Amino acid sequence: MRFLLSALLITAVFIIVTLISQVHFEQQQPILFEYIVRNYEEDCGTTNAVTAILLNYRMYDTMFEVLILLTAIIGMKQFLPAPHELKDDTPVKKRTASHD
Amino acid sequence: MIEHDIPEQSLVLEVVIGFLYPFMLLLGFFIILNGHHTPGGGFQGGSVLAALFIARYVVYPVHDVNSEKMHMFQRIFIALILLTPMVFLFTGFIHRFPEYRSLYLLVMNVLIGFQVGMEIGVAILRFAFFQGVGKTWRL
Repeated sequence: MRFLLSALLITAVFIIVTLISQVHFEQQQPILFEYIVRNYEEDCGTTNAVTAILLNYRMYDTMFEVLILLTAIIGMKQFLPAPHELKDDTPVKKRTASHD
Repeated sequence: MIEHDIPEQSLVLEVVIGFLYPFMLLLGFFIILNGHHTPGGGFQGGSVLAALFIARYVVYPVHDVNSEKMHMFQRIFIALILLTPMVFLFTGFIHRFPEYRSLYLLVMNVLIGFQVGMEIGVAILRFAFFQGVGKTWRL
């Protein structure tokens, strides 16, 4: 019964959100899209609209995207052992046999 | 690591990757440096540069990349990536001097490319050597 109720709740929320986005349809006009398509060459001095958006209009996005990558590396350095922390347990014969 | 720990590799792989290695380097730098005129940019070129680490690992699986030094370079590069737009973009510098717009994009592409290449390369090597060569974690 609880699962059925939660399923109904999720479905209702989904339908409501979809309807709300349909009600405010006039706010979804591609104003920014049209501005960028017309003006990106004068604004950014590039012929590549993707680079213009990534490095000029949405610079915050790119900055923190690189920061997320660095965070992933820091977490990996924290939780995975470095090679000098590894101990050789396997005998040499077995190790060479496993590579053949 | 001692020399005889390296398992014997295929000669075909060595020759082919040795032939392709400079071309992969060239392709990576081409994608990074032409990022503001052709499809491409820092992230894509950096991923191609990270493929160099994989190629090197396939031929010569020895962990002699100093990851601490790489991590220091990563910190310097992330500082530059955060500082360059703060100085040149958010202050309106490149809108007052429009002739520096392309130079700004080029510098940002190069910085992001090196950063992404080093990060993905170090990540791949760390995962590859975690369980790859018959070693266990000293607890």
